[in-house]
Amino acid sequence: MTAFVLALFDSVLDAAPALVFAAVGTTLSERAGVVNVGVEGMMRAGAFAAAASALVLPTPWAVLVGAGVGAAIGALHGWLCIWARSDQVVSGMAINLVMLALGQFLLEAAFSSPSGTPPITQLTPWLGHSPLTWLAVALPFVVHAVVQRTPFGLRLRAVGEKPEAVAAMGVRVAPLRLAAVVASGALAGLGGAHLSTAVLDRFEHHMPAGLGFMAVAAMVFGRWRPLGAALAALFFSVGDALRLSLASSAPGLLEVVPQGVLLAMPYALTLVVLSLQRRGASRAPAALGRPYDPEVR
Amino acid sequence: MLEATPTPPGRLRRAARELARAALPSVAPILTSLLVCFVAVAALRGGVAVAVDAFLAMTWGAIGDVPRLLEGASVAVLLRPWGESATKAALLTLTGLSVAAAFRVGLFNIGAQGQLMVGALAAAVVGAAVELPAALHGPACLLAAALAGGLYALGPALLKLSRGVHEVISTIMLNWVAVALIENWLVPGPLRAQVGGGNSVAGTAQIHETAELPRLVGEVSRLNAGILLAAGAAVVLWLWLARFVGGYEWRAAGLGPEAARAAGIDVRRTVLRAMLTSGALAGLAGAVLVLGTEQRYPATLGAPYGFDGIAMALIGQGHPLGVLATSTLFGGLRAGGTRMQLFGVHKSFPELIQGLALLLVAARLVWTKLADRWLPAREGGP
Repeated sequence: MTAFVLALFDSVLDAAPALVFAAVGTTLSERAGVVNVGVEGMMRAGAFAAAASALVLPTPWAVLVGAGVGAAIGALHGWLCIWARSDQVVSGMAINLVMLALGQFLLEAAFSSPSGTPPITQLTPWLGHSPLTWLAVALPFVVHAVVQRTPFGLRLRAVGEKPEAVAAMGVRVAPLRLAAVVASGALAGLGGAHLSTAVLDRFEHHMPAGLGFMAVAAMVFGRWRPLGAALAALFFSVGDALRLSLASSAPGLLEVVPQGVLLAMPYALTLVVLSLQRRGASRAPAALGRPYDPEVR
Repeated sequence: MLEATPTPPGRLRRAARELARAALPSVAPILTSLLVCFVAVAALRGGVAVAVDAFLAMTWGAIGDVPRLLEGASVAVLLRPWGESATKAALLTLTGLSVAAAFRVGLFNIGAQGQLMVGALAAAVVGAAVELPAALHGPACLLAAALAGGLYALGPALLKLSRGVHEVISTIMLNWVAVALIENWLVPGPLRAQVGGGNSVAGTAQIHETAELPRLVGEVSRLNAGILLAAGAAVVLWLWLARFVGGYEWRAAGLGPEAARAAGIDVRRTVLRAMLTSGALAGLAGAVLVLGTEQRYPATLGAPYGFDGIAMALIGQGHPLGVLATSTLFGGLRAGGTRMQLFGVHKSFPELIQGLALLLVAARLVWTKLADRWLPAREGGP
């Protein structure tokens, strides 16, 4: 039993960081009032950029490239939502669609392979796990402290609740929102980089296979709070690791509860939590999805 | 705008200008996207000449191999590509209409993918498990798919109305619930095809021939009735929105629910009806996929047509006929895209063109400003 729990713990430490980074990142963007359903595409871009650059750069630098590309796509999302007045959901879904096809095109164009990049050197483990694992352990607390305890965090939250008030305070709304979306993209890119440099040793064509949407689920499940989102991400990861280890150790059990049902759990649970809330008791930021237009005030 | 004595332009010219103004935010992004993607192929796949060849191959793959026809090949070189283009266009049109219908009442249905999956499954089950004469079997499958998709879309609408849950979140969740339950449980598990003789087939049992969508030009081409269904749906939805009181209520509820309520419109009922329609259209897309090409629910549906529907709805500006036109274009490109593989370009390349076009359409303010500069509105104005 102890061995089982330890093995489970180990696999969670390896798999969870991607989801934790992405989920915590999404809270930043959404707390600032910008919907981010483009996490999936940002993760994919980060995963590809990290793997591709790890072929020529030392892997730690490649991970930074992954985060940087994620940030750049975050900036694109921010520009579209804030200055071009795009519908935020549209922009996010467009990013997903572009990255899905672009990843495939670049794989074919750069590596002449439809399935994945050549293998790369993984990040050197540190205390038995990728350094990104330990970063993922610390990061939610850091982000929580920044969001809840610093003047910047206060402004960030205010800009998602009542941007007019922030503007009246003499703080410009647009750069603040952009910063949040860029940070969100960087974290999503980092999550993607974790997939291609720590979970696997290459970019595979289906990455991140829906993990970005699960990050959105975790963010909602965690009620738009960094620590909540990280806990939800951890919870989903433990569930998934449990499912995988049961599949190998107790296949009989999976005949009673099919794998597909277990796979649906994170999304179904998020829906249940949402539908149990009272009307008007939503924890979503009040100005979420609403562009700030000073002329409309 | 102050003009001394404006020469009244002819009605036709004014109408043309209005049409151009309306179409610019769709056409300009598509052209820009094509240009960018052309440059990308030229830069990464060995020069402009290769890119020209690749894009020509895509074009002939979409509209039929005109050069070979001129050289005297049989008409099949046209019909076969038409079949592929029309098949893809039908799917894109139906999912695009699905998203567009929900848009009209102000809901963003990201769940077309999930609704398509449950629709496809319903069609596959009714097509395989029920025995009916051909005149009834196809319609029965379509009805089952539309109902399944519609009911799957009703959940998010009810959650929104009763609990204030944002439909974007709930439909994203339901997409993945559908993937997990259908493709990870039902299709490989209880509904898996039973084949004798130790052969194994992925996916559900094959549907009866009576349930298949009729082919329009025989065995030469896969051209089937799906495109007629899709085009019909586009025309009906257009007429509904433009000419019927019910459609007017949809638009009113979408533009301003409070005002609509004040005008005596039952907004709740309107939203539920629109979402039911939206889900039914996505479900029909699933049925067209199963009854037209796959003949069963395959191990995995592959291309995410439901998400493509978002692109179609937005590039087509939510207008049913705009959706039909956009879907016809991209259906053709995607059918032709398979021909680009000869030039080292993955067959999903048209999806890149489409995604980029959507991204550019999203920057709506850019295009409306351009439209104001190039084709200034003569009258009205805010």
